[in-house]
Amino acid sequence: MKSVIENDQYNIGHICSRQQVERGLGGETAFRWISAKHERAEYSFADLDRESSKFANVLKGLGFAPGEILFTFLPKTPEQFFVFLGTLKLQVICGTLFSNFGDDALLDRLGDARAKGVVTRKSLLKKLLRVRDRLPALRYVIVIDIDEHQSADILSYAKLMGQASSDFVALLTPPDTPSVLHYTSGSTGKPKGVLHAHRAVLHLTQTSREVFNLLDSDLFWCTADQGWVTGTSYGIIGPWSLGVTQLHYGGAYDARVWFDLIQNEGVTVWYSAPTALRMLMREPAELFRGYDLKALRHIFSVGEPLNPEVITWGRSVLRHDIYDTWFQTETGGIMIANRPGLAIRPGSMGTPVAGAEPAILADDGTPLGPDQQGSLCLKRGWPAMFSTFLNNPSAYASKFRGDWYATGDTAIRDADGYYWFKGRSDDVINTSGHLISPFEVESALLEVEEVAESGVIGAPDELLYEKIVAFVCLHKQFTWSRELEVKIRVHVGNRASSLATPQEIIVVSSIPKNKSGKIMRRVLKARYLGQDAGDLSTMEE
Amino acid sequence: MDVKEQLNLIFREVFDDDAIAITPQMTANDVEGWDSLSHITLIVAIEIKFKIEFNRKELRGFKNVGDLLNAISAKIKT
Repeated sequence: MKSVIENDQYNIGHICSRQQVERGLGGETAFRWISAKHERAEYSFADLDRESSKFANVLKGLGFAPGEILFTFLPKTPEQFFVFLGTLKLQVICGTLFSNFGDDALLDRLGDARAKGVVTRKSLLKKLLRVRDRLPALRYVIVIDIDEHQSADILSYAKLMGQASSDFVALLTPPDTPSVLHYTSGSTGKPKGVLHAHRAVLHLTQTSREVFNLLDSDLFWCTADQGWVTGTSYGIIGPWSLGVTQLHYGGAYDARVWFDLIQNEGVTVWYSAPTALRMLMREPAELFRGYDLKALRHIFSVGEPLNPEVITWGRSVLRHDIYDTWFQTETGGIMIANRPGLAIRPGSMGTPVAGAEPAILADDGTPLGPDQQGSLCLKRGWPAMFSTFLNNPSAYASKFRGDWYATGDTAIRDADGYYWFKGRSDDVINTSGHLISPFEVESALLEVEEVAESGVIGAPDELLYEKIVAFVCLHKQFTWSRELEVKIRVHVGNRASSLATPQEIIVVSSIPKNKSGKIMRRVLKARYLGQDAGDLSTMEE
Repeated sequence: MDVKEQLNLIFREVFDDDAIAITPQMTANDVEGWDSLSHITLIVAIEIKFKIEFNRKELRGFKNVGDLLNAISAKIKT
């Protein structure tokens, strides 16, 4: 396969736009935009190049320099893509934030990154302004849906873009230049900024070809939000680095709307998530039989393990295989996958992609043989590997054992080389494919006046893979009520994010802790699941 | 305060937005943050505030705010 790197230029913004124009694809559609209200627009690669270049000039005019950080805090909109690529063209680092993040989540991420700018829209501005005074490094807020600048630092995107030149040539960008920033949750402490480099484009191009089998004629639809690594790696970079047209839809999940889009727009390769697929499974099968899915070549899934039932459903109802893929924010791109041409073993993660070298290691680092469960590790050196945790090199170093990156997942490899996910080696909760830190939810719970102590676990859930279960201990003067339940749910949703809202809240008289005061989440989990809690010798009396 | 005004207050609280002005045609696509998880919070808040309960079939039938308003009005009359 011909490399996408020409003249040593690794710049992702350049490769996804200008390079496609130079290949003669300027008039071809880069993405078909369908808004939540079903308004349609087509943007060519020439449009993508022009708008992203203008935005690069906007940032340059505001004094942004390579290595500084700008975030998008947007739902899916065309501006998301122009801003992302334009930011990268200038070698400014682009972070992306979910639009459902609450005040605390914003503050943690923007504060840690010392972000210089945020691009958002009017309806989200209020959240940002509430934490603004605690973000001293934040210089500019650019709002995509106001016509005039509101002040010297709350600026109109339209006005800035209207005055910007489209004449911009991306700086020659070496492979290790920082590019994209996503925050990820751990079981302790604040979320960590996973920093990637422009070299990731090599891996994203290769996996888009190898796994998705993308062809020049494809229409690719990745349903992931750009706040998620999938949304940037494969909802932007992978397909566009190959000049492949994408569909982007700005509305929410709706089975009929989604299948109308697949059929009527002619989606050929579809990348979604197990929770969405399980929601579709709950719809009557007749709904899908009315659709002509002849154009659809392949369906892929990512985010959580794909249950065998979903694969069976896909075969019987959609008449398609569904290929599960595995990667993490830190890996930047797909590392292990099922894919066309490889026999699916339902429930398996698949086999390593080219360039990925996984191993199952014991706690002491010894390689384990077939069918032995251990830590899933990856040999360092693949191009999309994260460069560091921003401002936290010691946490980055702690993820490696020599040349091996420890993913935090436990797995086995069978005798034929297929990998099988077994669980997490930490307390991080995977709900609908999003990693949630129990610490973040516990912290938000403690901000509720009535809550004295809290402990949060993930518990198995048929739809979400894991649901968030919160144990709370109330101050003596308060009693539990449904009103308090709503208060807690609203508070966590608005401070952290709707994804972090507990699905179940259980009132207890105390939270189990060890002698140094650490919450013993494994004890809570065992109690919830009715299992033996194991060794309790370190538990506080 | 009529049902619509009370429901508007619940929307503002759940979605943390004092600017929300609900209309019968409004859907999840029109409200920032109205996703499947915040929807559960919204429904629980409605049930408590209006002292009503929705069954699964009713919940699946809500396509917009107008459907919600109609269901609430029908339940508080009975």
